[in-house]
Amino acid sequence: MSRAHRLAQPRRARVDADLADGRPHMVDGREVDAVRESWLVEDRWWNGSPVRRRYWELVTTCGRNVVVFHDLRGGGWFAQR
Amino acid sequence: MRRAAAALRFWAEVFRLRAVVDGRRRGEHAFVSVVCVLLPRFELTVAAGDREELLRTPAALAPSGPPTREQRVGEASPAAEAFGVRAGTPLGEALARCPSLKLVPPDPAGVADRWERLLVRLESIGAAVEPERPGLACFAARGLLRLHGGSLERVLAAARGALRQPARFGAGPSRFCALAAASRARVRRPVVVAGGEAEAAAYLAALPVALLRGRHETAALPEPLVRLGIETLGELAALPRGAVADRFGAPGLLAHELARGRDGKLDPRRPPERLAEELELPEALSGVQLDRALHLLVDRLLARRERRGRTLRAVVLAAKLVEGGTWREQVPFREALADPLRMRLALAQRLVLLPAPAERLRLAVERFGPPAGDQRSLLDEAEAVRRARLREAVRQARAAAGPDAALRVLAVEFDSRVPERRAVLTPFE
Repeated sequence: MSRAHRLAQPRRARVDADLADGRPHMVDGREVDAVRESWLVEDRWWNGSPVRRRYWELVTTCGRNVVVFHDLRGGGWFAQR
Repeated sequence: MRRAAAALRFWAEVFRLRAVVDGRRRGEHAFVSVVCVLLPRFELTVAAGDREELLRTPAALAPSGPPTREQRVGEASPAAEAFGVRAGTPLGEALARCPSLKLVPPDPAGVADRWERLLVRLESIGAAVEPERPGLACFAARGLLRLHGGSLERVLAAARGALRQPARFGAGPSRFCALAAASRARVRRPVVVAGGEAEAAAYLAALPVALLRGRHETAALPEPLVRLGIETLGELAALPRGAVADRFGAPGLLAHELARGRDGKLDPRRPPERLAEELELPEALSGVQLDRALHLLVDRLLARRERRGRTLRAVVLAAKLVEGGTWREQVPFREALADPLRMRLALAQRLVLLPAPAERLRLAVERFGPPAGDQRSLLDEAEAVRRARLREAVRQARAAAGPDAALRVLAVEFDSRVPERRAVLTPFE
């Protein structure tokens, strides 16, 4: 039996962010030009593996559109499509 | 007591003599079971056509096939062979050995037609013919003896008369022995090797290993054998079987068996049913126009009454080229079909390989498949057919690249706020 491959798995990213509001300045060595959107995801709080993430949709100076999130429970930054 | 012993000896001698006489009566050629018909340089002769003077000069068939492969010449004339050029010699080497070598454009369609006519003529005397390659065929003589007067000579005479063309005939207890005999025969003087396996081995012993070129399985062996100092079939037969297997593998083992006078059984062909459509093109065509001509040929072939609703398993696409020579391609279909659209798809890919514009195009049935219902279904089955083809493509991709070769996206929690939970990849069906 083949195992199922999940799509859009988060991958770890190098992000420099503002300590005050958490807004990213650099993602994987690329400077952030603009923040398009930011949202908070709180899910699965009713079971043993809750999810708490702050998502940022950004445009870098090279024109790339990236989505990153800060894991508010375990810490660390991740990129995700 | 002494008289009784003398009587016993007398009757024993009588029985022995009778057995010998009966044996001789029974089998003038009791062990001669295979007749070989050989037309040397058949492909070159057909390609040369009326230009018979070409065969007296150094000439060889020009390389055929796509130019990406190594170019090798085909059959060579005796004058070219005197320079060391033979079928399969690389083109560069052939021209270096014989700068005056003339290259004759091959005529595969003409060869196939002419060879088919000759096979039909042989079959007309009742022979079950096994064609080895154009210019070489074998048939079993035993079943024909009574049909043609009871002697092998009469069978050979009947075959010669039916062919209506000079050919060399050889007969022997095995296919390879008959081939060896035919290669040493003259047109009006066949060579017959009577006896069994031992006699065949004895006959072959003095002959050169180059005869192994006559069988495609062992065609590559003569050169290395000669390099190792094994020049005759007798020397090959004397080698230990294990040593031959160790050095030459399966072809070596077969050659060893052949040199010992053994060979496999004949596998005669089933006389084919001829069904072909041909189109004379008003001007030499290529590209899209040729596709339209193919379109027409496929429709005409499928509309022939002789098809009797059967599917086609394999067809032959042939063309006469504007530059001279012909082109011929055998196209076996993946499954037997009678669908003009799918036939055109398969054939159009081969038509791209045409080396020059064509002035005549021909489509012939090589093998029929089982009958198919040509009746259209009441409901539109396009969707079901597309799915079936897709399933087949997935099956083949998995066979080649493993179970993860074909996957599809399955939405498991389509509206989840966590992206990695929305969809997974699963095997396609």
